[in-house]
Amino acid sequence: MPKKSVKREAKFPKMALVVHSDVGVLSNLQSSLSDRGYTPIIARDLPTALLAMTQHYFDVAIVSSRLREGGDGWPLAGVLHLVFPRAFVSVLAPSEDVLTLQSAINYGVKEVYKESSTASDVVSAILAEVAQDSANQKPRLQ
Amino acid sequence: MAPKRSILLVDDETSILRTLQLVFEDEGYEVATAESSAQALKMLDGNGHFDAVITDLNMERQDIGFEVARAAMKRDPKPAVVICTGFASMSNSRIALEMGVDYMAHKPVELSELISALNRLISRYRSL
Repeated sequence: MPKKSVKREAKFPKMALVVHSDVGVLSNLQSSLSDRGYTPIIARDLPTALLAMTQHYFDVAIVSSRLREGGDGWPLAGVLHLVFPRAFVSVLAPSEDVLTLQSAINYGVKEVYKESSTASDVVSAILAEVAQDSANQKPRLQ
Repeated sequence: MAPKRSILLVDDETSILRTLQLVFEDEGYEVATAESSAQALKMLDGNGHFDAVITDLNMERQDIGFEVARAAMKRDPKPAVVICTGFASMSNSRIALEMGVDYMAHKPVELSELISALNRLISRYRSL
């Protein structure tokens, strides 16, 4: 019944973690996720992201490949995948090349999006993948 | 005591196969080898248990290793699936990511990294 499902969603909201050093990017992703029914938690750095991971159970994570220096977002994405094996963990990277894709595979990341993509495009693509994953029910574990 | 870890190595270059076999046997793995994708597919179709499958990509033909990876991923319990290639490209890397391959190593392989990744992956799969 529609009434029941609304109640349930309010009680157990879908949580998303967004980790990026740029406040503008964080804000845009936050709005896009909120618009689509997710509760976004934002972090600008690794300690804040780790704290958030102890306080929430995330369904989706969007992490910049560069937090303080190039590539330091990848291990965080890897840890997110280990802690939340059913979560859709994605990384925003400057470009998509062979080494970026290799990092994504080896850190257990589900998808890589270009930093230059709009927040709305990234969130739409993620939610489409999440919907497909739920239909297939095949979590990737590493 | 946990059963010995088992691994299937698939590569059409005998020297690579033998080197990896020695390395993993030295690490305490029970190692099975296949020198072609066809041989590997037969082994994966049988009753043998593998904790991990490491496959080359280009053997009888280009990217045929994906067939081995796909067959491995259909097994229950699913082994850790590793692709080891000397010809990584955007196209085959993207296929590997979309398939949900667990690890991709580029040749020449950094053995310590590969061993460490495999130990981690197998421990994780066994803990599920």
